[in-house]
Amino acid sequence: MDRVASVSTTDTRELDYVAKNVLWNRLISVCEEQANALMRAAFGAIVREAGDLSAGIFNADGEMLAQAVTGTPGHVNTMAASVNAMLNIVPSSTLSDGDVLVTNDPWLGAGHVFDFVVVTPVFVEHKIVAYLASTSHIVDVGGLGWSAEARSVYEEGVTIPVMHLRKRDVINEDLLGIVTANSRVPHEARGDILSLLSCNDTGAKRLDDLMQEYGLCDLCEISNFIFQRSIQGTRAALQLAPNGEYHSELLLDGYDSPITLRARMRIHDEHVEVDLSGSSPAINRGINCPLNYSAAYAAFGIRALLTPQVPNNQASLNAIRISAPPGLVVSAERPAPVSARHVIGQALPDLMFGCLEKALPDQVLAESAGALWTLSLSGTGENPFTSLNVVLGGMGARPTVDGLSTTAFPSGVGAVPVETAEVAAPLIYHSKEFITDSGGAGRFRGGLSQRLEVGSNCGQELNLAAAAFERLNEGPVGRQGGHRGSAGKVFLSNGTRIHDKGFHRIPAGETLVLQTPGGGGFDDPIHRDRSAVKRDLAYGLISEEAATHIYHLNDNNSEE
Amino acid sequence: MLRVAIDIGGTFTDVVAETEAGLSSIKILTSSKTPETAALAGMSTLLARMSAEWGDVDSLVHGTTLATNALIERKGAKTAIVTTAGFRDVLAMRNEKRFDQYELNIELPTPLIPRPLRFGIQERTLADGSIVARPDDTEIDNLCQQLSQQNVAAVAIGFLHSYRNNINEQYVASRMQDKLGDSVTICQSAEVAGEIREYERFSTVCANAYVRPLMTSYLSRMTSELAQQGFRGSFLMMLSDGSLTTLEQAKRFPVRLIEGGPAGGVALGAHVAKELASNKTLSLDIGGTTAKICFIQNGKPQTSRLFEVARSWRDVKGSGLPVKVPTVELVELGAGGGSIASVDSLGRLKTGPQSAGSVPGPACYNQGGTHATVTDAHLVTGGIAAEGFAEGMIELKKQRASDALKSEVQSALDFASVAEAAAGVIELANETMANAARVHGIELGLDVSSFDLLVSGGGGGIHATRIAEKLGISRIVVPAHAGVGSAVGFLRSPIAFETALSVIETIDAIDCTELNARLQAALIDVRKIVSQAVVQSSVSTSVVAEIRYKGQGLELRIPLLFSAGLQQALQTAQQQFIDQYRLMSGFTLPDVDIELVSLSIAATENSRDKKSAEHVSTSMSSNDQHKIYPTTDAEANLTAQLNADNVTREVFDQRAKSFQSSTVIPRTKLNGDTLQGPIVITETQTTTLVPKTWCVHQSQQGHLVLERQA
Repeated sequence: MDRVASVSTTDTRELDYVAKNVLWNRLISVCEEQANALMRAAFGAIVREAGDLSAGIFNADGEMLAQAVTGTPGHVNTMAASVNAMLNIVPSSTLSDGDVLVTNDPWLGAGHVFDFVVVTPVFVEHKIVAYLASTSHIVDVGGLGWSAEARSVYEEGVTIPVMHLRKRDVINEDLLGIVTANSRVPHEARGDILSLLSCNDTGAKRLDDLMQEYGLCDLCEISNFIFQRSIQGTRAALQLAPNGEYHSELLLDGYDSPITLRARMRIHDEHVEVDLSGSSPAINRGINCPLNYSAAYAAFGIRALLTPQVPNNQASLNAIRISAPPGLVVSAERPAPVSARHVIGQALPDLMFGCLEKALPDQVLAESAGALWTLSLSGTGENPFTSLNVVLGGMGARPTVDGLSTTAFPSGVGAVPVETAEVAAPLIYHSKEFITDSGGAGRFRGGLSQRLEVGSNCGQELNLAAAAFERLNEGPVGRQGGHRGSAGKVFLSNGTRIHDKGFHRIPAGETLVLQTPGGGGFDDPIHRDRSAVKRDLAYGLISEEAATHIYHLNDNNSEE
Repeated sequence: MLRVAIDIGGTFTDVVAETEAGLSSIKILTSSKTPETAALAGMSTLLARMSAEWGDVDSLVHGTTLATNALIERKGAKTAIVTTAGFRDVLAMRNEKRFDQYELNIELPTPLIPRPLRFGIQERTLADGSIVARPDDTEIDNLCQQLSQQNVAAVAIGFLHSYRNNINEQYVASRMQDKLGDSVTICQSAEVAGEIREYERFSTVCANAYVRPLMTSYLSRMTSELAQQGFRGSFLMMLSDGSLTTLEQAKRFPVRLIEGGPAGGVALGAHVAKELASNKTLSLDIGGTTAKICFIQNGKPQTSRLFEVARSWRDVKGSGLPVKVPTVELVELGAGGGSIASVDSLGRLKTGPQSAGSVPGPACYNQGGTHATVTDAHLVTGGIAAEGFAEGMIELKKQRASDALKSEVQSALDFASVAEAAAGVIELANETMANAARVHGIELGLDVSSFDLLVSGGGGGIHATRIAEKLGISRIVVPAHAGVGSAVGFLRSPIAFETALSVIETIDAIDCTELNARLQAALIDVRKIVSQAVVQSSVSTSVVAEIRYKGQGLELRIPLLFSAGLQQALQTAQQQFIDQYRLMSGFTLPDVDIELVSLSIAATENSRDKKSAEHVSTSMSSNDQHKIYPTTDAEANLTAQLNADNVTREVFDQRAKSFQSSTVIPRTKLNGDTLQGPIVITETQTTTLVPKTWCVHQSQQGHLVLERQA
């Protein structure tokens, strides 16, 4: 990469306390800039709107120092582990200035072949002082495309083992050629991979400026400061949670038969251990989850609840240790299919909350809709297209406030606007509205879910990959006396119900109806503020029946 | 020629009058219930002092935060939205995204229009503009009955894809207007913000409908009172994008007035930049609770077409209501004099974004505030003096500042002295502001270090040099009249109007005949609006294309040049896009289609700007013509004190970790001579610190210019 010498505004000196504070913020900001550049350059509405990406900065030992706030939890911890995993394969001693490494190996990267991780070493005076890493979702890398139908990872697309994407400033066109030859949208795939490379270069340049400004020749001192403060902050936060062992269990619909997720959590003074033993074994469809991705979401849940103010870095992540014996649905091994791994992965925060509720009964939100409902529609024939959107359900009620309606959680993405989706594909969305009574009843109500109706705008037959429609059997659980949110439901206008996660055909002229799950409620509905019940009734968020029989609106004894 | 500008803010109303002899101004408290009362009283006082009559005023330019406050305080009209059946919850669903990943308790903005007043009717337009269902008269009429029964005062109409074809919106609007009568305000989404993305467009039309009755009635009262007083000049309103428009347009699109005040401040910055021949200027306004950043290039502020108003969660980006209208692109951050310093659970020192506001205010105000703030830190480090703060209106207690910093910062972090703790607080505030500028610059592809820094607001002059150092900037401007900067900026703004067309088609596949027809219609529209206020011959128009690789979100703005028709212009723009893309990312994507996302169409008057610039530079050449009325006793005392010779002040130097003696010089005593720091320059509303590595002189227009020495 280019090295631009600039005049240092300060002399080399030991960093004082304020300077370290500033430097820490600046490192986060470097990552943020990297992530924003990446988001703007991403192809595919779903990635652009969703922010299905992440960016981070690592020290010379491959330990993560800071990470962009923009991005989604699934890429967070996975990327933290990726850098060292990649350096184990291509040792740092063999890297030169201008080199860049890449992989999309699900077990080294972010859990499925769509996610590419790109790592760029930063050299100062011929020595590696840091690495910039970024990951994002590439629209298509061959195989079956987005579905859970593959029987092995080999059918899910082309896997790129860890290798050079650039060697001493020369881009590896051979590699790009392999990706483009395998992709249904070759030019976009190439553009997305180059964007990863380019955003790392931007970050590297910014880091270089920063080090010159502060007269730094390495990041050792700031690393120690960040890690030490993060350990301290984690310890302080964990003191609020009683030490002990806590268990929980969660039942998912699974592909065609139920899947159990089980966790045993041990809270210690300075770290939390989770063992996922006892969860169902991996299956032969692509909703299995590699352990790195399971760990990413499990850690997200624990950190969001216990240590939200501690920024993501090696030390704050080291405090959360997730393990599982190999071969489970949460720790699938190659060659298990893993395309729709988020179906399992995104259920893990709720599983963690289940353990944490036993430690902190009044402080844990109810279960949420969980996995993103990925709406993958395609058409063939004269008018071929593929369209990807997400359809969100309700978030669980929080201990002091209602759950958020139709909002992604734990994922950090958002939905593609209807107008944008209809510009991109010959579809017509007929409705997208809240479902009355879908939010679990409680003193604090679960977030409402939505009913979305969509079809072809030209009477075309459509194909649907139903891989991510989860929680069709039972809605998310409430806590502390709160009720369940509504279960999801998927059917066609001709009455056909969709129960499994396979491929489905939507005959010409028919429409698809999705009803996402609602969030669970918190605390007994009888304790809900009466004016809130009346408002919900007036707004049509709850029915007359629910107001009377569940919230006991007209029951004088319930007035507080 | 007598021109008057009125800037009504939440707390203060500024009135500025300009004649060939220069500027006069008055600052008064805003009369919130009937804002015109204070404004007109102020104007009356000012005219009397200038011995001028209402009839002498040639033009009046006005900007107000009234619409903004109505949105923040939810004090607008009872408003309903009529939308495509099946989509009444778009306002509440937003983009279905959380704006903070790790905060589990975030709250989203409450929609302006509650669910019972959100109605769907059967109608549908597709993405290509074709109509698959026309609205039904009976359904419209029944809906009108319901709206009447509920005493709805305003109706927003927002249909899917109306940005592409708004026939259905027009039809429903016109029928509803007939049924409901003229007393009900009706706004159409395609007219207010004709761009793709239903949530942002619906949000904008609702905001417009919500504030329109209030703004219309306010502006009518204002004009009728002005007429009664004998005012016969032109009346123009300041828009968010830094241009002026007619009263009629302001009443139609009041949502475009929202950022008018800050846009005035930026307009002054742009004007000063031109005066000083600064082609690249970073404008930074540091107030009590927030700082605002805007990049100005070649005298033109950066603009955008989307911003947020009324943020619901700790002022976090993403938690407000989106408004899609042209606006100066201000980055607003929670850093100002009132920003609170704290130590978090990780033992990290933080400054802001929480603010002590003006009540209870910083600890040193001695009005019940106990938190250590940036102002407290400045008092302890000697950046500001306890005497004469805010024109003597607030008496500062240094001991309070010192105590707060000691208990909240110094003891928690083992700083050697309270002054070092205070300097740390200031350094972090500086860093927050510098970093926001750095990041925003990068987003825009600008090299911040090549810019001049133009500061305003109470804190501008105190923070300027350190921020400049952090950004590698070597020239700073502290303009004259910064205390009433927005109002002065109104007088420097051109009459203009901008609108946008969504296109979203591959450039090579565009039907240029059809697009040209849409473009010409829009050009006629904007030209007509501007022509109402200026002579037709002096109106010029411009078109900017937003272009991207199909499927990407990285849109570049390329001005279109029409020498040989639209098709040719688009081809040229396409090549420019490729060149710029290569510059930004280091590669291009030759196999990917290039897409025209939208066209922004603007009409601007082009004569007055030049004339007024000349006019101003002569009138402002003598800097003592800026009179601030009324002269208070406090100010008189202050002046006497500042005039005393050889005053010095001890100011803490963050790098040397010790206090250093600085000469105190009142701004009024400066002339064109270059002085070497360390100097403290004082004036009634702010202080400028000139450290020893900087020098300062006053330009002939009366602006302070600080330059860093190599």
